[in-house]
Amino acid sequence: MKYSYIKPRKKSVVSGESQLIFSFFSITLIMLFLTYFFLFFKDYRFTQNLQEIQQRKIELEANVQKMNSQITFIEKELLLSESITTKNTVLKDSIANLFDLVPQRITLSQATLLKNGLILHGITPNKDIYNFMLQAPLRSIFHRTYSSFYEAENGWLKFVSTNYIDEDELSLESPRYEEEKEVSDED
Amino acid sequence: MKINITKQSLYLLFLSIVLLLFVLIFSFLVLIPEGKNYREQRGVLNKEATELRRYEEFADNTLERLKGLQSDNAHILTSFDNSFSSTRFQKQFRSYFTSLELSKQEELNEEDEFSVYEVNTTSSINSPQSFYNFLDAINKADWIISVNFPIEFKRDHELISSTFTMRVYRTKKASQQ
Repeated sequence: MKYSYIKPRKKSVVSGESQLIFSFFSITLIMLFLTYFFLFFKDYRFTQNLQEIQQRKIELEANVQKMNSQITFIEKELLLSESITTKNTVLKDSIANLFDLVPQRITLSQATLLKNGLILHGITPNKDIYNFMLQAPLRSIFHRTYSSFYEAENGWLKFVSTNYIDEDELSLESPRYEEEKEVSDED
Repeated sequence: MKINITKQSLYLLFLSIVLLLFVLIFSFLVLIPEGKNYREQRGVLNKEATELRRYEEFADNTLERLKGLQSDNAHILTSFDNSFSSTRFQKQFRSYFTSLELSKQEELNEEDEFSVYEVNTTSSINSPQSFYNFLDAINKADWIISVNFPIEFKRDHELISSTFTMRVYRTKKASQQ
């Protein structure tokens, strides 16, 4: 039996307005929380990345330091090798110059090259040839030159020429010599 | 005039105000500072990343320089690592002399990072030119060798007998192995 002519409207626990408000706020809150979690996660990642970068920087720094010390050592080796090569070449030139210095009429029987001197043993036809052709150039090279003669069986003269360079005077003449001396002293 | 507001509407209004307040408070007190922090952190990270790139570039350049030095001077570096062998030396340099003898290989005081060995040499040569050739060749040897004073040349009939000392340089690291 019907008591009314109109259809009954459906009633729900939550009204339409409430639904609208709830859905609006829930979307807003979800968006806010999502943004917050996104920022929070990003912060966490940034901290992690920063730590990784710092670690990598420390590793790189140690690596560079190691490589630099290797480079320094190689440069040291090259410098030493270069100085030895130069020393050998200079020695070769010095010996060549020494033998070129001796005139054909004088014959050497022994030559001793010292660090700061030269001792020559030989035979000369006479003192004049020795004095003009050997002693004069030796005097121009060495600071102190001593010669002694004694007669040979064939009437020629045997001689011993001892020549020294004063290292003190040399260092005054050329400051570079002092550096070379220090290097050779170390050698 | 009487305003007719239902109880339910009042509840709704109250709830809306509370939620709105929550949104505002959350936004201003939490979200905005967090956002600011995010922006700052991003700036710091970018700066650090740029600095790291610079570090990497520098490390790459240093490595390149090291490799270059190593490859350009491979012979010298290997020579410093080689241990001296009298037999090998005689084999390599005998051709410059009529006779060649090495004796008394002794270690001198160590220099910084290098060990120095002194070797006495007695040899005979035909002419000084052989000795010059030897001095040229020694610079290309498998060891780092310097010929040292005193050097003595003595006439021995048709030959020249020579006596000299050589110093062989070796890296300490290699000599300790």
